[in-house]
Parts: sequence; structure tokens; C-alpha cells
Amino acid sequence: MSKFRSIVAAVCAVVLMAAPAFAQVSVDPNLPDYTPVSGVVGNIKSVGSDTMNNMMTLWAEGFKTMYPNVQVEIEGKGSSTAPPSLISATSNFGPMSRATKSKEDDAFEKRFGYKPTQLPTSIDMLAVYVNKDNPIEGLSFPQVDAIFSKSRKLGMASSIDKWGQAGLSGAWGNAPISLYGRNSASGTYGYFKKHALGKGDYRDSVKEQPGSSAVVQGVASDKYGIGYSGIGYKTADVKAIALSKEEGGKLIPATPEYAYSGDYPLSRFLWLTVNYKPGSQLEPLRKEFIKYIFSKQGQLDVVKDGYYPITAQIAKKALASVNIHD
Amino acid sequence: MSTTLKEPQNTPALPREIIRGSMSARKKARGNRGGRSLLAKGEPMLWLTGGGLVVAVVMIIALLTLVIIQGAVTFWPKPVVQFTLKDNTIYMGEVTRDDTYKPEPGVLNSLPADVQADIAANEGWAHRELVRTGNFDLTNTHFHWVEDFNSQGQTLPKWATVIERNSWGRFYGMPKSFLIDGKVVADTPQAAWAEYIKYHDEVRERWHERRGLEKHDIGRESRKVDHARLEMKSALLEHGKDSAEYREAQANYDAIEAQVNVAYAKIREEINALNAENDRYQLVMETAQGQEKQLGLAEIVRAYPANQLGLGGKISLYLSRWWEFLSDEPREANSEGGVFPAIFGTVAMTLIMSVLVVPFGVLASLYLREYAKAGPMISAVRIAINNLAGVPSIVFGVFGLGFFCYVVGGTIDEVFFKASLPNPTFGTGGLLWAALTLALLTLPVVIVSTEEALAAVPGSMREGSYGCGASKWQTIRRIVLPRAMPGVMTGAILAMARGAGEVAPLMLVGAVKLAPELPIDGVYPFLHAQRSFMHLGFHVYDLGFQSQNAEAAKPMVFTTTLLLICIVAFLNLFAIWLRARLRRKFVSSQF
Repeated sequence: MSKFRSIVAAVCAVVLMAAPAFAQVSVDPNLPDYTPVSGVVGNIKSVGSDTMNNMMTLWAEGFKTMYPNVQVEIEGKGSSTAPPSLISATSNFGPMSRATKSKEDDAFEKRFGYKPTQLPTSIDMLAVYVNKDNPIEGLSFPQVDAIFSKSRKLGMASSIDKWGQAGLSGAWGNAPISLYGRNSASGTYGYFKKHALGKGDYRDSVKEQPGSSAVVQGVASDKYGIGYSGIGYKTADVKAIALSKEEGGKLIPATPEYAYSGDYPLSRFLWLTVNYKPGSQLEPLRKEFIKYIFSKQGQLDVVKDGYYPITAQIAKKALASVNIHD
Repeated sequence: MSTTLKEPQNTPALPREIIRGSMSARKKARGNRGGRSLLAKGEPMLWLTGGGLVVAVVMIIALLTLVIIQGAVTFWPKPVVQFTLKDNTIYMGEVTRDDTYKPEPGVLNSLPADVQADIAANEGWAHRELVRTGNFDLTNTHFHWVEDFNSQGQTLPKWATVIERNSWGRFYGMPKSFLIDGKVVADTPQAAWAEYIKYHDEVRERWHERRGLEKHDIGRESRKVDHARLEMKSALLEHGKDSAEYREAQANYDAIEAQVNVAYAKIREEINALNAENDRYQLVMETAQGQEKQLGLAEIVRAYPANQLGLGGKISLYLSRWWEFLSDEPREANSEGGVFPAIFGTVAMTLIMSVLVVPFGVLASLYLREYAKAGPMISAVRIAINNLAGVPSIVFGVFGLGFFCYVVGGTIDEVFFKASLPNPTFGTGGLLWAALTLALLTLPVVIVSTEEALAAVPGSMREGSYGCGASKWQTIRRIVLPRAMPGVMTGAILAMARGAGEVAPLMLVGAVKLAPELPIDGVYPFLHAQRSFMHLGFHVYDLGFQSQNAEAAKPMVFTTTLLLICIVAFLNLFAIWLRARLRRKFVSSQF
């Protein structure tokens, strides 16, 4: 979060065109256009985040139209699967929906002698979803904590089990809250735990789902459901509620302008983890794929998948961190 | 004591009932005869067994009907409806679903009094429809709910057109004009549509030609470079950096790269020419909200004015969508396009698995039944095999990953593919490892059914064979095995059905979300058993749980399931046909 805020604060270029009826996200015109080069062959093998699964597929499809002979294999079962497969070299890209943990860095360093490099590819808002018919406007973090966690690290006195305790009245007052979440291999699971639950433990009654889309579908079919998932998975059947950091604080809706301003409390980068030896040159395949991701075309794929593109400055910084300057 | 022992203790209950029932019937013609004689006739058991069958059949038929109906209607074109809401917002699209619900009090109170009265008259129920509005590139949403009480009315615009695109999902709008080289050549919907019909086929043909160039011609050139690069790396690993071999390989690589670069430039030129020609043709669409959007004809997979289609048009559209589904590659992170790589992967994996498991299972059961002497050892082996059938399939997946991929595959990579490390060749999930894992999983099925079939061959036939002086193996080969063949085929059928429907272990050993390269193609060595592959079962899981556009992917889940069931049924029918042939052959050879 702090890393996210600092980068966003450093880069004030907010690239948003908000036409009245069509809130449309568009990519930074200063991003470079991608032009294919020759000599790119090999196998893109990506193992990692489920949140980024579709985005990796879109990038790979876009990349393949330029380099038809590049072979692509994509697996997305959770961010925690990314570092081990990078270490065992069974993959060459590790998409992750969270930053690497120090334990993972250490394991990587033990094998290669340097830490893995993480590139911020796009911006996601982790949204808290409720059913479309749920009249609730928003929740504060302590409330979310009291709903999802049994430890209640953010200081609510009692747990929230019924929608009435979260401020709803009428028929909703007595309705029990039904919880949906991700499985523990997921980066979204870890991120939500760290940032919204104060590192407290999830309740046992959270129904753990195998994918982000499954959480949204669970909430869509369960009138009293609540769950968390990436903003890209939003459908017409669910509502992303507004969140505030403190009890009684200003509720921030899950819309792109608040993701860019850094005000939305659960906005995060989606990372691409690579095995990059500091000071060296990446081989053509990985270099070009990374360049593609940080180009206009690659960021358009981000929009296509429902996430928010990064700005040209973030892209430049990210490229520089793996020694790509042109 | 002795009298009780003489009682026939283990006589089953039913015969005793029959005896007693018939005795009492003889003694007294009245009394509770009805109930007893019902039992005596065995009718309760008839009802119980018959009822069991009916429940099973009803469940199967209900499941199949659900899948078939849901799967079959996915591709049927629906009319495009335009809704105007009370606040004058316009939504245009296909109605995918509707829902009757009770609006929340908060929503209800904000409505005008007459609407509230209407809803109250309906006992608080209201109706709404989910409209697929598409145009994701303009609106960032795919679907909208439209409540009946919120809508002023709906119309079917004559020129509402559905466009399926290569990317960004569907587009709904009205044709406005048609551009060639940036000049307007048609400016009414009708004329623009006529121009579209005129040029679309040739543009798509060029687009396919371009894709062919990219896939085959560029592929061929880059394989040359790849090959030279690997040779260079091998030379480096074998002879060191300063050796003559390495320098030679390096020179060779440079030469080939230069040569290929020239070829690349030429192919690029051709591609650019095709693209430039295609870019001349642009269709300008207007959305229901009045936004304009220019679409290149090459981007359009299929377009149709939905509200003008007759029955014939609908049927041909329906069939064309099925054809695309069966024969094309997936687009848009698998939520659109076809599933051909998944069909191919499923069939290839199942066939390779059968080829591996049947001979292996037959050999094992031959030893168990024909050679081994019955004893505690053999019983233990049998029990172990039967228990193997009860091991959760994911455990086989873990074993396959740990043993086949990492140990066997890793060793193969170390020995034969050193030059391409750290990129694994065999040391990761792939078709071969998946087929081997499933072969292990289905082995018990084949062994058990083959053993049954071997046991059913009468001992007299074996003895006759021995009597004529045949050896043990000759007897097995000529007498026992041909007789047992239909039973072996039954085992193979069961194994195939189990293997084709299994997904959990495959997720660990090689089935992936996207792998458009087929494991069998025209490039030497033709069968690429190390490649990851797509699988229909995994595709269902992926569409159902991981798709970004979940609402649009849902019907595809049913269609893919339907297809998977059809493929399994087809494979089974083939094996049954083979078994029937074998039986006939065997019967005729008796005479």
C-alpha cells in the first residue's frame, strides 16, 4: 500500500477521460507504441495469479499476433505459485497480485544470488461486492474486519453477523451475512487479510472459492452474500460498495478516479515478477514481452480486462528497472 | 440346544415367508393374507429395484436435458431490443435473462406513487431483464439490468446490428456509413449494409491469408533461427567458449539470422500490404446512445441485422456459430471463438492414454490370472489394485507432477535438452505426462475387467488346448485371449470414459488455460508430447470460475459441457462398435 501510494503520489499524471454518460478509462497517450523486432522466439510460460490470468492471456494473444511463432502457456492458480515456479525455472513470468514476501525473496536469493524483480503492470482495485439488491452504501474497514475476521484486529467490540449490525433495517436487519472469499494460495486472499483485516484471521464461515469470478458469481446468486475480488470481475449482478479507512470516515466509491488518486483504500498494483540478474540484459523474448506490456497496446489489453492502465512515467520506471531504455 | 441347531438358520427370509405364506394360505383363506402374499410374490422388491432404476434414469435425463437445452440455445440469435428508461437513458442489446423479484423498500419509496401502487397490486413483485449491451470499449460494461417500472418502453429497431469482433466482445449499433479510403461511399444504413456484404468476405479472406503467413511462413523462418541458436548453445556447453566448434556454430547462426531477417522483411511486407488493403474498408456504426464508432472490416468476424433475420437466416447463423466453435481457436481470454485446441487435446490425450493403459493392464491381469499361483501374495496384489481405484484422482496428479514431470522429465531435460535450459522441455506438465498419469488412474478398471473376462473362459477350452500339445503361452495367445477380447474392450471403454472426464489431476500435469499450439502438427517430429495442451473439462472449469465476463461465459460452459459429453459418447460408441466386431469375428471362427 505504502509503495503504491508513494509511486502514485510521485506520478501525478491522472489520465482519465470521464464523459458524462460513459465513464471510460483510456490509456496514457505518452506510452510508447509497440513495434515488432526480429529474432523473438521461444516459449512464454507464465505461472501465478488468478486475478491476472485473463490479462496474461490477453497480453499473450496480443504478443502472438506480432510473433506468431512464440509459444504460450498460461497457468493461474494463485500468486503464491509464482515464486516457486520461477525458482524451479518451470516458468519465465510470474504474475502476482501482491508484492513478494520476504520469505519468497530469500528463497529466490538462495538459489540465484539476487532478489526477483517485480514490475507494476496495471492498477487494480480490490472491491468488496454485495448482491445488486443490497441497499448498503458502504462499509468502514473496522466493519469489514468485523464481518470477515474472527480476530477483529481493527477494534470493533463485537463481530457483525447480521446485515442489521452493518446498518441495514427492515427485512435486511435480521438477515445473516453470508461470506465469500478466495482460497489461501491467492494473492487477493493475502492482500485483503493484510490491508482490510489488519492481518487478522478469516472466519471459518468464509466460503473459499477457487477463482475471482467464482466469488462474484457466489455473491450474485446469494442475496445476503458479501465477498471480495478484483474490480475486473464485476458483473451486472453485483455492486461494488464504497469503503472508508476509519469508522465514520469518508466513504470512497470504487471508481477509477479514486484508484488513480490513491484515495481508494484497497487499490494496488498488479505485478509481473521476473528472474532478472541486476545489470544484465534480458534475452529477446522476455525483453520484448515486457516492452509489449508497457506499451500502448499492452495497456489497452489492461482496459479490456477491466483493470486500470498505468501511466507513461510508471512504465518508464518499470522498464528501467530491468535495463530497458529505448 | 440340538433342536435349535437343526433349525435351518441361514435360510433366507424370503423363502421362509413363502413357505409360511403358502401354509397359512392353505390353512386360513382369510386374515392378513394380502400383505404376506405381496411379499411372497416378490413385488415389493420389484418396486424397490424398479424405483431405483427410475430415479437413476430421471436424474440422468434431467441432467442431460439441462445441458442439451442450455448448450444448444447459446448460439441461437436473439432479437436486439432497445429500452428507453424513464430518465431517457437508452440501452440496446439482447435480453439474456429475466427475473421476478421484490424491490427493496428503499428503492420502492423513491418511485412515483402510481408505480408503487402497481407493484403493491402485484403483491410486491416486480420484473426486470438483463440486457447484454456490449460495446465494452465505449462503456466498460457488458450487461445492464432494466427494471420494467423504470422503462418507458421497448422497440425493435429495424437496423439494430450485432457485430462479433476479434476483440472487445460484441458491438450493438446501427450501420451509419461505409468508408473506402476514408471517403464515404454509402451513408444510409441500407446502403452501408449492402457495401459491407459486398466487401466483407474478401477482406476476411485476406485476413485469413495474413494469419496463415504469420503462422506458417514466419514460423518456419523462426524455427531455423531457433535451431541454429540451440546448436550454438550446445557447442558452447560441450566445447567451451574458445573452441573452433563454437566459433563455427556462431558463424553459422549469424549467417542464418541474416538470411532469416531478409525473409522476415519480405513476409512483413506481404503482411503489411494485406493489412493496408484491408484497412481501406471501414464500417461506421452508431450506437443507440448516438456515439459513433469506426470498425475495420477485418476486425469483424460476423455481423447481422438481428431484427431482420428470417428463419433461414437464423439457422444459417446458428450453424456458422457452431462451426466456428468447433473449428476455431479461442479469442478474448477463451470467452469467445472456438474450442478446437481443447477438442484436439482431449481426444489426443484420451487416445494416448488408452494406447498406454490397455496393453499394460492386459499383461498385468494375464499374469495374475494365468501364471500366478493363488496365495496371500496374489490376494494382497488384487486388494491393492482394487484400492487403487478408490484413491482420489488429485493424488495421482500430485504423483504425476512429482515423479513424471520433475524426476523423469527433469532428467530427460538434463540429458537431452541441456541447451534450452533453464526453459524446461519435458520437465514440466505436458501431453505425455498427463496421458501417463491418467493411464495409472484407469489401470485398475482395465485390470479388473480383463481378469473377469479371462476367468469367464471355460477351463475345458484350456485343457483341450493343452491336450493338443500347445504350450501355456500358445494357449493364452490362441484360445484364451481372443475369447476374452470383448471383456478387454469393455475395460478400455470404461477407462476411456473415466479418463476423458477427469480434470483434477490434469490441472497439475499439463492442461492449461491457453495453448493454441496443437500437440500434433506438421513440424518434425510431428507428435510434440512435451507440449502443454488444452482440455475441454479444464475449459469448463476455466469458463465457469475464472472468466472475467462471467455472464457471457456462462452459456459457453453448457455448450462446452455438451461437446465434452458428445466426444466421450463418440469415443465409447467407437469402442463398442469395435467390441461388437470382435465378438462377431469370434462367433464366426467357431464354425
